[in-house]
Amino acid sequence: MLTKIKNWLDVRIGLNTIFQTHVLDYRMPKNTNILYTLGFIAVIAYATQAFTGIILLIYYIPHPDHAFRSVQDIMTQVPYGWVFRQMHAVGSNLMIMVAMLHMVTVFLMGNYKRPRELTWVGGVLLLILTIVFGLSGYLLPWTQLSYWATTVVTSMPTAFPVIGETVSQILRGGDHVSETTLSRFFALHISILPPLYLLFMGIHLFFVNRIGISATPFGKADEEKRPLTEYKRKTYPDGYPYYPRFFQKQMYMMMAYFTVMFFIITFLPTLYFPDEANVPADPFNTPQEVRPAWYLLAPYQLLKLIPNKFFGIMLQLILVLIFILWPVLDTQQEKNVLKRPVLRGVFLSLIALWVILLWWGRS
Amino acid sequence: MVGEVIMRGIMRYGILSWILLFLLPSLGTAGYKKDFEDAFLTKPWAGEQIEENVCISCHASQTMKPEFQEITEAWQASWHAQNRISCEHCHGGDPRDAALAMSPQRGFLGTPKDKDVPEFCGKCHIGILTNFLESGHGKALKAGEKAPNCVVCHGSHNIQKASIDIISEQLCTKCHSYERAKIMKVALFVIETRISQLEQRLQKLKREGIYPGADEKSLFSTQAEFRTLFHTVDANLVRSRTDEFTSKLDQIDKNIQDTYHKLRFRKNLSAFFMMAFACMGVIIFLLTKTKDE
Repeated sequence: MLTKIKNWLDVRIGLNTIFQTHVLDYRMPKNTNILYTLGFIAVIAYATQAFTGIILLIYYIPHPDHAFRSVQDIMTQVPYGWVFRQMHAVGSNLMIMVAMLHMVTVFLMGNYKRPRELTWVGGVLLLILTIVFGLSGYLLPWTQLSYWATTVVTSMPTAFPVIGETVSQILRGGDHVSETTLSRFFALHISILPPLYLLFMGIHLFFVNRIGISATPFGKADEEKRPLTEYKRKTYPDGYPYYPRFFQKQMYMMMAYFTVMFFIITFLPTLYFPDEANVPADPFNTPQEVRPAWYLLAPYQLLKLIPNKFFGIMLQLILVLIFILWPVLDTQQEKNVLKRPVLRGVFLSLIALWVILLWWGRS
Repeated sequence: MVGEVIMRGIMRYGILSWILLFLLPSLGTAGYKKDFEDAFLTKPWAGEQIEENVCISCHASQTMKPEFQEITEAWQASWHAQNRISCEHCHGGDPRDAALAMSPQRGFLGTPKDKDVPEFCGKCHIGILTNFLESGHGKALKAGEKAPNCVVCHGSHNIQKASIDIISEQLCTKCHSYERAKIMKVALFVIETRISQLEQRLQKLKREGIYPGADEKSLFSTQAEFRTLFHTVDANLVRSRTDEFTSKLDQIDKNIQDTYHKLRFRKNLSAFFMMAFACMGVIIFLLTKTKDE
């Protein structure tokens, strides 16, 4: 039966050819490592978020009078609703972690270098979209935690002169986080961001496929030093086939991803749900500790530390800009970060700074 | 080749110049635009939505006598403030209109006389008012004798969450001997202790990620109903209804236990998923190794 279906499809769309070309004959560079699977894990994370999100959407009510109650109903009344909610909440944090880790590894392996500048830019935009996903979803349960974290985050643009207040007002739909903010964030989270993310993901994957995978600079170096005068897809005729070896690596990492997810759900179920996350939002009662989600803690702390808010926000925007345009700014041909002590030092210092600011912001 | 180098140079330095163009004016503006800074820094970074209340702003001002200023501080630390019971809820008036805030036309009641305090508090604490007026304290107060009203035991502006600790030798012996009050306290002890334990368990459930809203409401109403009993200072009445309240609290206790049971099931199920994924991961890893060999 299965063979019949396969044959039926093959004579119509050339299924076997697609499988042969893109799976069996597709060759990976010999020195790829497990970190090459992180992009795939980010896709799996997104798919998990989409699936669990759709389940939550069936029961969630985006209104301040009902949002908290509906989320609690998902947790206590809907059969196995808690699994989907926990997977969605833990998954959102893991997805941001995976995306960040993917960017860091790509950076360290110099895989952003020409001709892959556009792939990098697409990747950074996807990371920003992932963070916006997290930010917009954070408000939806309408808890004290989400309400006040959103208040803080939507205050951040006010540091920008002239248009800052307007940006903040547009985000909130008024002076304070309110019913309008919830509606806006809900619309953003479920109907604007998903297609936008899919579009950027499609573009990113198109670039990856079109330009070809970049080999790691470690081990046998594979640096593209040819003059960039014409399009040429990078292939590895002497590499190993994607299926089954690299596919197995991807599956192995996927299992590791879900193992980590269920480890957190089992042993640290309140990791992302502190006490304030279990209390309905109260605009008239500020909790003792107000802070944004961990992935926005470093920029928030930096903004708090710099007494001049305008300079603080400009510095951050410029850092983001440098991050996006890094492949254009870094024109050195050497891919191996081990042979570039200055870049390695600066990069490690930035990571250390980010961790310190995050930790500082927590305390 | 030369063209490519020139283009690369333009791209690199062009972008750097563009960044500098943005950064330098921002530094310049940062240094000199004091007006902007003042305007920004005076804004609350994550401001609480504070309801406009002219009673508080006026009473807290320096123009008031110190004893009037203390009223706002006492209220801010009170159980009423925590539950957003504000000045106008007890004293009437209009907290949004400074000119007519204390106008009788806006329902301003002012400070009640000692004997009117029970009705003053009883606007909200209805059951307790009825119960209190039936008590020796209430009857004596209404007869114009020297007797305690609500604020004598509970305080007024700095009122805290009620507990049986209020019934104390120190407080009761200000007017009479402690024996009867002690018998009353013993009669209340079982239910009050149970209520306090259940409150703690519900708090713990919240920390576990469960919001026990229905049980919290049920406990609150049981507690409120129980408190309508004992202002008569009749220990026999309390004892006669202790079983009834015990069964209500048992139900809440059972619900909490059921929730913990569900939490255990959840933990086991997610642990199963974790193990399943981990095992599949190990199998795939071993398969990869086999292929490598």
